[in-house]
Amino acid sequence: MLRRILVLSLLFLLGISLAACGGTDQAGGDEGAGTPETIKVGAIYPVTGALAATGTDLTNGVKLAVEIVNGEFPDLNLPLAAEAGLPNLGGAKVEIVWGDHQGSAEKGMSEAERLITQEKVVALLGCYNSAVTATASQVAERNGVPFLNPESTSPTLTQRGFKWFFRTTPHDDTFAKNFFQFLEDLKATKGIEVESLAIVYENTLWGSDVGKFEKKYAEEFGYKVVEDLAYPAKGTDVTSEVQRLKAANPQVVMQASYVSDAILYMRTYKEFGFLPEAILAMDAGFVAAEYLKTLGEDGYYILSREVWALDLAESKPIIAEVNDMFRERFGYNMDGNSARAFTGTLVLLDAINRAGSTDPEAIRQALLETDIPADQLIMPWEGVKFDPETQQNTKGKGIIVQVQDGKYLTVWPWELASADLIWPMPGWDER
Amino acid sequence: MLHEVEVLRRFAPPRLGRFVVPALLLLLILFPFVVNAAFYVHLMILVFLFAYLGQAWNILGGYTGQVSLGHAVFLGLGAYTSTLLFEWYGVSPWIGMIAGGLVAMAFGLIIGLPTFRLQGHYFAIATIAVGESVLALFNSWDLVGGASGIYRTIVPESWWAMQFHSSKDPYYFIALGLVVTIFTVTRLIERSRLGYYFRAIKEDPDAAKSLGIDTTRYKLYSMMISAFFTGLAGTLYVQYLLFIDPEMVFLLMLSIQICLVPVLGGVGTLWGPAVGAAILIPISEFTRGYLGGSAAGLDLVVYGALIMLVAAYKPAGIMGLLRKAS
Repeated sequence: MLRRILVLSLLFLLGISLAACGGTDQAGGDEGAGTPETIKVGAIYPVTGALAATGTDLTNGVKLAVEIVNGEFPDLNLPLAAEAGLPNLGGAKVEIVWGDHQGSAEKGMSEAERLITQEKVVALLGCYNSAVTATASQVAERNGVPFLNPESTSPTLTQRGFKWFFRTTPHDDTFAKNFFQFLEDLKATKGIEVESLAIVYENTLWGSDVGKFEKKYAEEFGYKVVEDLAYPAKGTDVTSEVQRLKAANPQVVMQASYVSDAILYMRTYKEFGFLPEAILAMDAGFVAAEYLKTLGEDGYYILSREVWALDLAESKPIIAEVNDMFRERFGYNMDGNSARAFTGTLVLLDAINRAGSTDPEAIRQALLETDIPADQLIMPWEGVKFDPETQQNTKGKGIIVQVQDGKYLTVWPWELASADLIWPMPGWDER
Repeated sequence: MLHEVEVLRRFAPPRLGRFVVPALLLLLILFPFVVNAAFYVHLMILVFLFAYLGQAWNILGGYTGQVSLGHAVFLGLGAYTSTLLFEWYGVSPWIGMIAGGLVAMAFGLIIGLPTFRLQGHYFAIATIAVGESVLALFNSWDLVGGASGIYRTIVPESWWAMQFHSSKDPYYFIALGLVVTIFTVTRLIERSRLGYYFRAIKEDPDAAKSLGIDTTRYKLYSMMISAFFTGLAGTLYVQYLLFIDPEMVFLLMLSIQICLVPVLGGVGTLWGPAVGAAILIPISEFTRGYLGGSAAGLDLVVYGALIMLVAAYKPAGIMGLLRKAS
């Protein structure tokens, strides 16, 4: 039996070593071939597993971006759309090498390792889940390969002091800040002055984080927090919470809730006749499908932050053009995830093109010099420009939507709005 | 003639054994110097890690017959202990590793006391429940980073801090060291009175009791040894990934993976976990890498089919196959 074990282990080691040598030989052959005909970029997403549906949205976004770069689309005002391939690299075509992390941080690391050392990709995209982005980007950091993250929102990711990590999407901290920019805008352009706030959030990590950021910015922007209310998300009765809110009488409620508690709060608000001028929600429960289905008109007029909305197309025609292409190929509309993956891919490929080479340092420099104006983006952002320290996109921005006639319509920033803001919320019996 | 063969059979294995193990070890030590591709070193680290975890599970699940589906908890507790000791007090992960093992062992004792009253499936179900409770606890426990986890502080590479950035070889050798340790320990247990007690409990708890074995006590010993060694690996896991969150270490899927390694290789055998890990991990990595792009999910199908085949035709695992053939 032991002889068999020996034979088996020898075969195993031999297999691994052969595979390893095969891998390195292949890589050796690629080097020094002048301008390559295809540029390999790695993309790591949850293609299978519990997040497979989201993974498909994300990879479809990347696929469309690559098709636009590789083909000729002179009518599209997007980076690299007009010419075929990457013009500064002799028209080289882009090839995406896919990695599947199945939602696991350890597999994300494996895939990054494989794409960098075996497939020799020049840069990486991914990974959606903040935890997977954290480990996969460490591999890129160790190997000195640029890593562009289009869609993870944990603020910590860009506070690690990494040299090779860039992020285009705004993070949770920015979204909280957007609420206060919105309130400032209200004062400046509509003459609506808000002085007192109540901050309401469920007490697990996500809600408490949001609450923490909101309190920080309330102080920074000079708003008075009259009630700071953390509640357990799984409670079945919020009467005492609502009574406290009613007594504090804030003009605006900022709320972070999951769906069942969002519904419970709205019902209790109505029951007690508590009506602030506005409810500013941090998406989640307030944009879930069940919310409007259950509440109907009682759920109208709340405001929620979003990363993207299809009605942005009314103020940015480019969104409609890109979404039409997307629907033609994949049979459904884009969402916040596919739009962000699409944008991240374009930003990375634009940088590789400006670098004019596949040298990692040149690509990194080009990324640092990125300055894409708002009109070349399908996002509601002011542009793409990375902070030289954190390498976080400084021009990213969320939008605010309002429920009107059973639909979520963009109401802020004003220039992107498809509907007028209704302020204050109409009374419970005037609907 | 026949007699000679019999004699050879009887005497050959130990001699061969004396040769096989050092030869294999030498090959494994030379491996990173010969193969210079980071991905394959990474692959071997994963193989070692799962062979190690599988063996630690095997002590309780294989030799003592107490099937645990919550072993990820011990790994996670070990990982969190050393992470927090390092992040809060600057304690070297080497000390954290031992501390993590002890925490896991203590936890094993605590959950073993009530759950060992349960038998068979009920014990397995109880371990799932424990695993899920710990996951929920860590997800909402702000002090230890809650659901968003802990990003490890990255320091210049050193053996003291167990962080290496320029090469994976040190991680490889730490993993190899762990594997050698656990296989030695298992070997010693196998040959000792403890090992006989464990197997007696597995074969027939009532008979074991009637022979005067304090079954609860020995099940607890088995649990503590198994939990301690599983906890040790947590430190390597987190030092290698340099990030930790509850979903990474407390997921039921990880517990199942730990248990599958010896199940495939051969439950209750010394070499089973090694064989299982050497087959399962490369299959998972290669099919995902080379088939994943064109046929998403196929790796999981292959993985699942293999496990079904073993369960249906070779419940004794691949070691059972080998033993029969020789």
